[in-house]
Formats: sequence, structure tokens, C-alpha cells
Amino acid sequence: MAWIDVAAVADIPDGEGRAFSAGGRLVAVFNCEGELFATDDACPHGQNAKLSMGFVEEGRVECPLHQSCFDLRTGKVLTPPADADVRVYGLKVEVGRVWVDV
Amino acid sequence: MNDMTTPAIERVWPELGGGRVPAWIYSDETLFERELERFHHGRCWSYVGLECEVPTPGSYRRSFVGVKPVLITRDEAGEIHVLENRCSHRGAPVCWRQRGKGKKDLVCPYHEWTFSLSGELQGVPFLRGTRPHPGMPRDFNKAEHGLRRLKSTVRGGVIWASYALDAPDFETYAGPGVLRALDRTFPGRPLRLLGYSRQTIPANWKLYFENSRDPYHATLLHSFFSTFGLYRADAEFDIQPLDNGHETIRSFFASTAADNRSEVTDELKSIKEGFALEDMGVVTPFDEFGDGVISSLQLFPSVMVQQHANTLAIRNILPKSVRETELSWTYYGYADDDEEMHRRRMKQGNLVGPSGYVSLEDSEVLAQLQPVADNYPDSVQVIEMGGREIGPTTTAITETLLRAFYAFYRREMGL
Amino acid sequence: MAAPDRSNAELRAALRDFYEDYAASLDDLRLEDWAEFFTDDALYRVMGRETYDQDLTHSTIYCDGGAMIRDRAAALRRTAVYEPRLMRRFVSGVRVLEDSDDEIQAEANFMISEAMYDRPARLFLAGQYKDCIVRTEAGFRFKARTAVYDNYSIPITLILPV
Repeated sequence: MAWIDVAAVADIPDGEGRAFSAGGRLVAVFNCEGELFATDDACPHGQNAKLSMGFVEEGRVECPLHQSCFDLRTGKVLTPPADADVRVYGLKVEVGRVWVDV
Repeated sequence: MNDMTTPAIERVWPELGGGRVPAWIYSDETLFERELERFHHGRCWSYVGLECEVPTPGSYRRSFVGVKPVLITRDEAGEIHVLENRCSHRGAPVCWRQRGKGKKDLVCPYHEWTFSLSGELQGVPFLRGTRPHPGMPRDFNKAEHGLRRLKSTVRGGVIWASYALDAPDFETYAGPGVLRALDRTFPGRPLRLLGYSRQTIPANWKLYFENSRDPYHATLLHSFFSTFGLYRADAEFDIQPLDNGHETIRSFFASTAADNRSEVTDELKSIKEGFALEDMGVVTPFDEFGDGVISSLQLFPSVMVQQHANTLAIRNILPKSVRETELSWTYYGYADDDEEMHRRRMKQGNLVGPSGYVSLEDSEVLAQLQPVADNYPDSVQVIEMGGREIGPTTTAITETLLRAFYAFYRREMGL
Repeated sequence: MAAPDRSNAELRAALRDFYEDYAASLDDLRLEDWAEFFTDDALYRVMGRETYDQDLTHSTIYCDGGAMIRDRAAALRRTAVYEPRLMRRFVSGVRVLEDSDDEIQAEANFMISEAMYDRPARLFLAGQYKDCIVRTEAGFRFKARTAVYDNYSIPITLILPV
């Protein structure tokens, strides 16, 4: 595990997510009412969907493809059709930069 | 069954009594559509499959109710569902494989609309659009766009389905006589699926329905029967015509039937003297049900269920067009069959099916009959063997079951 | 792609002849000759691909031993009633899977055309043979032949063996 600087905080608008390459993975970083979270970008449902293109509200991200929802903090799957949790990563903000622990 | 008595089509049944059937019923396209509407896609129950064909949660299998493709699923909780295999989006078939296991959901290949195994719409790609473009309208409600669910029930390991959510319950629909016959070979013992044979017969579905409730032809067309005493013209029968489109037929076999000849059998097959099978296992029944009975039943409109000695099969009669029918045979045994019984079932399977010693002539005759019916639509068939009345009988030389069927049919179709 | 093994060209040629002789016996309706292509303990089955792929056992035609094979021939000859037709069997793609001293495991493709006297010929059945063949003094004989037909549904009736 290593901390990697992926983006500026300002790069991630409130209520949205963005995808970044970090340590050989594609990681999605979400801004939910000012709080930031990081998960794998690929939806565990396995249909080539990108969670970073999903919809963020109330601490959840909704996959744009089949509307599976995941808790942003824990990665737990909340609604079908996905039936596996999404991996979450440690995240810290330092001096306006977002670091993710991959 | 139906409250409708308005005539199905503008045709007049020849008024020559209950013993006459007009040939246009086998070729009239409009009538065919009405039949599907009132029967197969209406308040009737149809066979769709066996529980052992979808044994585990996540397993599925395609089937038909009438001409409509359906899908049988078993969900994570183990519940069976029968769904229309038609995406609620644009009508593509949701499931393209015949059968499978381990499915978590149903994803339509066209736009990936995703449904649960019980048919609920779960996922619509880009439901909310892609920023900044809108997706589906705000009032789009997934709950209104699931896969159409048929009413379904399971009895004795057999799955039945109906398009009418207000259809009478299956037990009421089948009636006590048919239920008794069904429960005899589907008593709730775990079944063992043995396999499938199918044949496409270029004939109207009613011709097959008639054929499999016509014991009169059995010993005459299928000379194999009388030669080996498996089903004799002079044997004792218990034939029960019903007024609901169903029927039951039972006959009683003797273990030495093969040696038991009579005037009738001799008269029929005097030219076959000296012809004996080398392996009599095909025609030697074992009385596994302990009642000495060979039985069959028809549950209108979709099945004839047979027990020919120890070969057990469901004949699913599937109309494909006014002049084409798929006859789909599902063979089964019981999970606790020993190797000897299994082998017996394999051997006796030669009697029936698309190559059956006592069934292959049926499809041959019907394939030839249909073009004649097509070309002589106003000709009239005579079904008066045994008289002109309808009633139970103990002889196979009867057409009472055909008269009963057409009395039912005329009533339901307003003809 | 690994190059196919062609070292058994002679065997495959001999098997092709055997398969074609078998096909001819049925095309010519020499059913008694057909029965002689099998050992006396042979298992002959004709089944659908759907049944075969699920490891199920039901066979549209099932002959366990020479007696049942001869019975099938005799029953067709003496009791079956059916519209006359011409059928022609085409065999190709003969492959040897295994060749031990006792038995040869082989496969081949088949197609059968059917022509009623008043209709054009059509493709009736297509599929694959899966065979166990033994060498005898009288030549090859089938110890086991399973004809797996690809057809979802048989057109009308399967009257003759495959």
C-alpha cells in the first residue's frame, strides 16, 4: 500500500466523481457534499461500467449502467443487480491535493 | 371456462350432429388466432417444464405457452417463476440460451436492461442520462416495467403456467379425475430427467390432440401393438371423456400378454405370424405402480401425459402455426430408480417418440392429412365409432373422446 | 495452432470406407446388412444434442445389443407404416481420437437429406457420430455408436436409423 497524489481537490465537483490512474489501478474519487471518498472505478457488477460516471447523493454512488448503489464510506453494495461490494481506499487531503492509499 | 359465447369466426359448423367435424378447423388462420387467444394465451393452464430442469437457485430454462416464448427461473430463495421471455423495453428476447445455471439476473443483450430472476426491472443503462444530457423521463417507474409474469404453480414436480392471472386454480382446472391420474405418475417423488426428443409435424395442433385421444387407431395403424400384445383391440379399457377438454384413458395389462392371443388380434395381424422380437425387454412391462395399469391423460390444451409400461413421458403439444405443431417429448423416471429400472425405461423408450414403434406412424399420417384438410376445407370428418353419444366406455374401439372434445371446443369457441 | 496429426491417414481412409459402407446400407434400405455393422454386444443410440450435452440418457433410438439392433431392422421392415422417401447420408470430417490395439475412438460429421417423391430434397438431420470401433476378422465393427443430432426438432419422424 502506498499513498499516491491523484488530483487537486478542485478537480472533483460536489456531487460528482472522477477517475484517476493510481498505482496501476483505476480509482474513482467522489465528492459528496464536500467529503471525499475513493473506490475502484469499475462497478463490481462487471459490465464495464464506471462508477466515476455515476450519481452521488446521500453518501452513496449509483452506477450509471444498472443503478446498483454502493455506500461510499464502506463500499457495501446497497441495491441489486450488483451483489458484491466495491473496494474502497484510504483517502487524505493535504494542501489541497487528494492522496489515495493504494 | 370462458364466459364468451360469441362465435370465434364467421363460419358455420355443419349441423349433422355431434359426430361430424368440418375440415376448415384445421386450416382457418383466423380461427387459429382465436384459439390461441381463448385457450393457450387465455384462462387455460399449460405445461412449461419440470422442477428438476431448474434444480438450483439461479437456474433457468426457456419454454413456451402457446406460441409465446417464456422463461422458467428459480430465484435465490428457491421460488419458481414463469416470465415472458420478452424485454419490456423493445421486445427483444431477454434470454438467448436454452437453459443454464448460476444466473444472478437477466440482462437483455440489446440495451442491457437488467431484471431480477423474478422479473423485476432493476437496471436501465443511463437511466439518469449522461451529464448534461437527460436520461429517461422523471416519471419513469421501474416497477411498471418488469417482465410479464405468468401465473404458475408446481405440483408433483411439474410446473404449470397460465397467462390469466385470474385463471381458476390448477386443481379446479384439472378436475379430480385428471388430478388423480397426474398424481399417480407425479406423486411428489423426486423425478429424474432422462432427456428430450422433439418432432415438428406439419399439421394443425388439434390433429395431434385428437390422435392421442383416439384409441381406435392404435392397433390398426401401429401394427407393432397387436403383434406383441402390448395394447390389444379387445383389451379392457377405462375411458373417461370429460367436458372440460381433458381426458383419461387406462388399460390393464397382463404380464403374459405377449402369449395371449385372441380372435381379434389374429384377425388383424395374420400376416405377421412368425415375427417375434429377439429382445422382449422392449415389450415387457414391470408393474411399478402396483396396479396393472397403463395410463394416459390429456390436460387441455398443452399435454398428453403417458405411461406406456415403464416409459414415462410428457408430450408437450405446441402450436407453431395453423398447420405446424411441435411435439416435444420430455422423458423422466424417478430419482430412486435402480439401474435395472433405468435400463428398462431406456429400452421401452423405443416404443414412443419420433422413432417410436407405436408412435412413428402418427406423425406420418398427420403430415399427410393436413394438405388434404387444407385443400378440402368444407369436407366433413365422421367421428361416430361407438355411436353418436358421449360417455365413458370400456373399449378402445370408440371415438367418444373425439366427440367429447368437439362438444367442448364448439361450446368454448361459440361454434 | 498445433498442426493436426496426419500420421494415421491410412486408418482414417479405412474408417471413411467403413462409414460410407454403413451409410450405403441405410440409403439402400438394406436394414439386415445395417445390423451387421455392429458387434453383438454393441450399444447403438441416436439422441439429440441437448440431451447429450446435459449427460442425460434418453435416446430417440436405443439399441442395447445385437438383438435390439436386429429387432429395430425387423420392426421397420415388417410393421412400420410410412410415406416412401429417398434418404441419403453424407459423412465427412472423420477424426481418430484414440487408437489402441483393442479399440478405436473416432468421430465424424453426418448430414442426411430426404426427398419425398413429390417434393424437393431437403436437409433432414445433421450431427456427429461418436464411435468406438473394434477390429475383427471380418473387418471393423461398431462396439458403440452414438449419433448425436444437432437438430432441435426432428422434421416429422425419424423412421430409419442414422
